[in-house]
Amino acid sequence: MTTNPYIDVLYNSIFTVLFIVATSFGLGYLARLIARWVGASKRKQEDTFAGYLFAAPWIVGFLIFVIIPLGYSLYWSFTDYRVTDNTPPNWIGLDNYAQLILKDTGFRASIVNTLFLTAIGLPFMIAVALFLAVLLNQKSRGERIFRMAFYLPVILGFNTAVLLCWRLMLNGGTGIINQLIRAISKAFPPFSYLNRAVIFIQELISAFFLGISNGKFTLLNRIWAAGFPAANRVPMWVESPLWSKMSVVLLMVWGCGAMMLIFLAGLNNIPRELHDAAEVDGANGWQHFWKISFPLLTPYVFYNMVVGLIACLQIFEPIYVLYRDNQPLVSSVISMVYYLWQASFRQFEIGYGSAISWLILLLILAVTAIQFMMQKRWVNYDLY
Amino acid sequence: MRTKLFVLLVLVSVVFSACAPATPGPATAVPATAVPATAVPATATQPPEAQSVTLKIYLLDYTPDTIAWLKSDINPAFEAANPGVTVEITEGSWSGWDTTFAGFFAAGAGPDIINLGSEMNTLYGKSLADMDPYLGEAAWPDITNFGPALENAKYDGKLRGLPIFTAPRYVFCRTDLAVGSLPPKSFADWVTFAKANTKIDAATNSLTQQALVPVDAGSMADWQWWLLVFYSLDGQLYKADGTPNFDSPEALATTQFLLDMRQATYGPAADAVANLPAGQGSVIDVNADTGQNNGAVCLAHSGWAAPAFTQPIWSKVSIEPFYGDPANFPNSKPVVLAFNDWLAVADYSPNKQLAADWLKMAFTKEANNKWNSTMSLIPARNDSQFGYVTDSPQLKLEAELASQYGVGFAGILEAAKLSVIMQEALGKLITEELTPAEVVAQIQEQYSAALK
Repeated sequence: MTTNPYIDVLYNSIFTVLFIVATSFGLGYLARLIARWVGASKRKQEDTFAGYLFAAPWIVGFLIFVIIPLGYSLYWSFTDYRVTDNTPPNWIGLDNYAQLILKDTGFRASIVNTLFLTAIGLPFMIAVALFLAVLLNQKSRGERIFRMAFYLPVILGFNTAVLLCWRLMLNGGTGIINQLIRAISKAFPPFSYLNRAVIFIQELISAFFLGISNGKFTLLNRIWAAGFPAANRVPMWVESPLWSKMSVVLLMVWGCGAMMLIFLAGLNNIPRELHDAAEVDGANGWQHFWKISFPLLTPYVFYNMVVGLIACLQIFEPIYVLYRDNQPLVSSVISMVYYLWQASFRQFEIGYGSAISWLILLLILAVTAIQFMMQKRWVNYDLY
Repeated sequence: MRTKLFVLLVLVSVVFSACAPATPGPATAVPATAVPATAVPATATQPPEAQSVTLKIYLLDYTPDTIAWLKSDINPAFEAANPGVTVEITEGSWSGWDTTFAGFFAAGAGPDIINLGSEMNTLYGKSLADMDPYLGEAAWPDITNFGPALENAKYDGKLRGLPIFTAPRYVFCRTDLAVGSLPPKSFADWVTFAKANTKIDAATNSLTQQALVPVDAGSMADWQWWLLVFYSLDGQLYKADGTPNFDSPEALATTQFLLDMRQATYGPAADAVANLPAGQGSVIDVNADTGQNNGAVCLAHSGWAAPAFTQPIWSKVSIEPFYGDPANFPNSKPVVLAFNDWLAVADYSPNKQLAADWLKMAFTKEANNKWNSTMSLIPARNDSQFGYVTDSPQLKLEAELASQYGVGFAGILEAAKLSVIMQEALGKLITEELTPAEVVAQIQEQYSAALK
């Protein structure tokens, strides 16, 4: 029997297709059997068979690639399982969870960082996406080009080229962002004061959060003691632990194109007559937005908040691309999912990593449930 | 009709699956120890019985010249000596290797030979094959020609593969730029040197010249740099009872030195300056387009981070070990921390004998020299250090320093965890969130817990 890898691939492909076909028919027959057993009509039985037959490839895939790994992950979370040890998982009950919740200061720091990124980054993302959507909703020349330009980051993602561009742009000395800040400060001196005030406040906030992570506020005291920043100070985007979280927020905001599209769709759904009526009543642009557009956009804001919050709580890529090879800064920005990756794929502690993933899931479920409970107070579904 | 079709499909699938190639048994089914140490393994000159096997090799970030040479010289010769065997090289990258390797070991399947770094022997050791029966002295006398890098290719005292090169970390300094005597030979000298040789542009609040660029230029607090300094004080990572030794005076002095150097270069954390601009080529070189210096006076790094040997700047570059702090630690010694790449054989591999044969062919005296010549690295085999190694005055000096002062970056237990623990603590050192004493206490506590 040959072991040519190409023939192997061919065999595997054929077998996979046959497996899908067989399991689909099997699931269809099973569904029909159950329908017959509960006394469904002949027609209903045939419909059940056809329905399950066509849905089966997805159901089988879901079972194999989601449900079964989920089960394994849950089991491993109660074990001491290290993939490189060449030994089977060892059942340790709730030890991983107890360690994470009660003792692991690194995990606690990752929660604090994630909450910072969520609390600061998500409102920024939504605000910028909404602002861009309102701008791009105006009928103007080149509108489609701008839409594409703002959506492009979503397509580009965080690949190596993008990472290099951002690193160059965020360089404290020669990066274009700081060069712009310096140029504007020089041309318009009040901006310099604004810039330094922002630096001061931002560094105090970051130092406060770092203090929460460490249980000590030494850095906060030092920044307070150093006082208002000197005139030549600029943000140290990727060079200082005080700025590492803000640089991640910047990348999050840069990728807000998907949210912008949702808002654009929402703005297009608002009936023109409402604005016409307001026009007749003498409403200005500000009133148009806050009295008509925004209330009717609240379902879209809610959707973006739910999806954005889940994404923020799972944030990984921007931290990975910006700081993976700048290890001393990682601890200042490490998120829950980065911590999970570190435990699972750098230290190969699959049991511990699984427990982290289940805790993250529970946290996301809880936060999402709270959001749904709160939505009745502020989301306006009158139009829908 | 549908029932018949279904039955037909099931039958066809059964037939296909029955025709599928037999899955090789688990690696443990035929333990490596089953091969007696005294047995003479098949060599390239004794073609084994014809079989159809693909020997898979996973290499990380080698030059196109090296890969081309392997594919044009080594692999065809190996395939000719082993009828029915095909050698397949997959090229990966050090960026993301860990996730890829985790997949191999989790699945218990993957390349037969994988490319590892210095400290990974302890990380993957339990999942690597015992290659003593195939590559030990009794089976392959050539093994005695390998230098100290061979230790990095061992786990639990047993060979797991072979080292390709040794890449020690030296202190390269620009003699034309340095203010003060070179090389600094104590911690106090280094701090004075850092203050005298670092330049900050007040207008942009950023570095234009950095006295010393260690492994991680931006933070100056990389754990590998910490270990180099620690070893130069004759620091021992573990005590006699096997527990970590981060509560030693050497560890505290090393941590204080890193903080002092950081502050002498970047200033206090609350008013830090920006990094050197990202330049082209080595940080101690001169930009060929602009004629400007790239910004570093000294570089503590491997040779590959230094300028190419053909660059004219070498007439103004000194190469030294790191001297420690003899004034305060009498046991200090000059150190070059030696890293290396090595090729390991995975325990799941069903082709251990073939893997050993391929390694022997790719690691002959001439082949080890040729492999490294394309990268100007020092071959791991002592007898392979000829030709380009001795022809280049820089490489010759590097090889001499390595043999004289080389300390292996190996034998670190739970290296991945220690790296994370140290980086987290050292990150807080440079922001002055933790004092040096708190940093070493935190590392000692967390690393002790990790080793339990």
